[in-house]
Amino acid sequence: MKKIKNTPNLNRRNFLAGTASIAGLAATASVVPITFANANHTDGSKGLPDFINWKNRDALIVHSDKGIETHRSAIGEGLITPNANVYIRNNMPTMSDAQIGDRNNWKVSFEGVNSPKSFTLAELKAMGTTTIATVLQCSGNGRGFFEHGPSGSQWQTGAAACVFWTGIPVKTLVDACGGISNGANFMTSAGVDHEPTGLAPKDAMVERSVPKKVYEDALLAWDMNGVPLPNSHGGPLRMITPGYFGINNVKHLGKVAFTTDESQVKFMKSSYRISPIGKKGSEYPTCWEMPVKSWITRPTDETGTVKAGKVQIVGVALGGTRKVKSVKVSVDGGNKWQKAKFIGPDLGKFAWRQFVLETTLSAGTYNIASLASNGKDKQPELRMENRRGYAHNGWKDHSVNITVA
Amino acid sequence: MKILKFFVVCIFCFSQTAAADADEVKMAKGLQIFNETAVCASCHILKAANSVGNVGPNLDTLNVTLQSVINTVTEGIGVMPAFGDTGILTNEEIETVAYFVINSIGK
Repeated sequence: MKKIKNTPNLNRRNFLAGTASIAGLAATASVVPITFANANHTDGSKGLPDFINWKNRDALIVHSDKGIETHRSAIGEGLITPNANVYIRNNMPTMSDAQIGDRNNWKVSFEGVNSPKSFTLAELKAMGTTTIATVLQCSGNGRGFFEHGPSGSQWQTGAAACVFWTGIPVKTLVDACGGISNGANFMTSAGVDHEPTGLAPKDAMVERSVPKKVYEDALLAWDMNGVPLPNSHGGPLRMITPGYFGINNVKHLGKVAFTTDESQVKFMKSSYRISPIGKKGSEYPTCWEMPVKSWITRPTDETGTVKAGKVQIVGVALGGTRKVKSVKVSVDGGNKWQKAKFIGPDLGKFAWRQFVLETTLSAGTYNIASLASNGKDKQPELRMENRRGYAHNGWKDHSVNITVA
Repeated sequence: MKILKFFVVCIFCFSQTAAADADEVKMAKGLQIFNETAVCASCHILKAANSVGNVGPNLDTLNVTLQSVINTVTEGIGVMPAFGDTGILTNEEIETVAYFVINSIGK
């Protein structure tokens, strides 16, 4: 195939005539600074992009430079996921140190409160601190199991992690602002990572509304597993909405507002909607609360042939916004189930629990599945079919086939 | 018999050349859509197109199918516009630019 030369015409302005908002988006996109463009996208020495070349390449599956998954077998041997193994899913380019500047001077504003205020990170650190463990999970985790081929990274199990976040409770800041204004129904968090791209906020700002009640559990985090929150995970300040899908945990946080209505930006209004295949629209539910879910992390098809005899079947289970209560394990594709036991410490209802079933397996092939319950809901057998492959918690697709010899 | 063989070889060579030409035309058209019509270049890196956009994924790092690229361009994803659903590109243009991307990744 002959090499064809062509230079991008990045100054073209009229290519999307008739679609005003998109035309505006693309026009502003055409002035993205080249130096910044190169900064985040050069391949790292270990096959990772430079901005995350500190991560553990062996633990990760690279779907793209902005979609990087943790191997199933790299989850679960420790209750907390090490930062180097935590998945990457970024809608906007990660902000650089130069764009962030002095982290202590990073500002977040509070609106929709009786006394609107702006706080620097240094001020936040002086006002209060706590640590919580939560499961961070991409809305599309499990998309790779959908047979209709939804767009987006084909995650299986690894767009999820259990993380210690250190920061200040939103409730503390609400109190410092004199309480929430009357009429608020939502807590709406906005990132500022679209700003360096020059794109229109309506199209590119990651602003997410969640029900107001979430503020009671929410945290503004500046540390992740005991170290300053990495830029690639939303540093220096990130909204943590425990029990809610990752997109609601807004990175590079610049504003928290208590609002009457949901945000009207694209990432709220039309993206992340759980719609039937072939349909889309803001009338469908958005990705908010995570459903109860579990999966096996050892043995798996990644860990090779299993030695016959006593076998430890290990996995993780999360309850969403409720505490996970029980897990059952099947070694015959779901015909018979045995109760697994939880191991390790209980880090609260928003963290996942590790579980183990000790059993004896003779030579043969096995389909191993896990089924978790949070007391109110349990995992369904099958996925909930939807256009974009969101919120998959069906146990059957998440089962693993192993060989025992 | 020899004359028949000669003609068969000629037809084969001609068809091969025509296919190669058609492929080159399609790749050139795909490149033109990528850089000019849809301006994918403003948001994506793709070495084959000399593009350095920084909003969406670096296309040289993708491991995707032709159909998945067609779906994504048609429906949009995240900040990426729905080029098909909004009528910005025709189905033929989408297939052409997707073909170009798939055959350019990492080159």
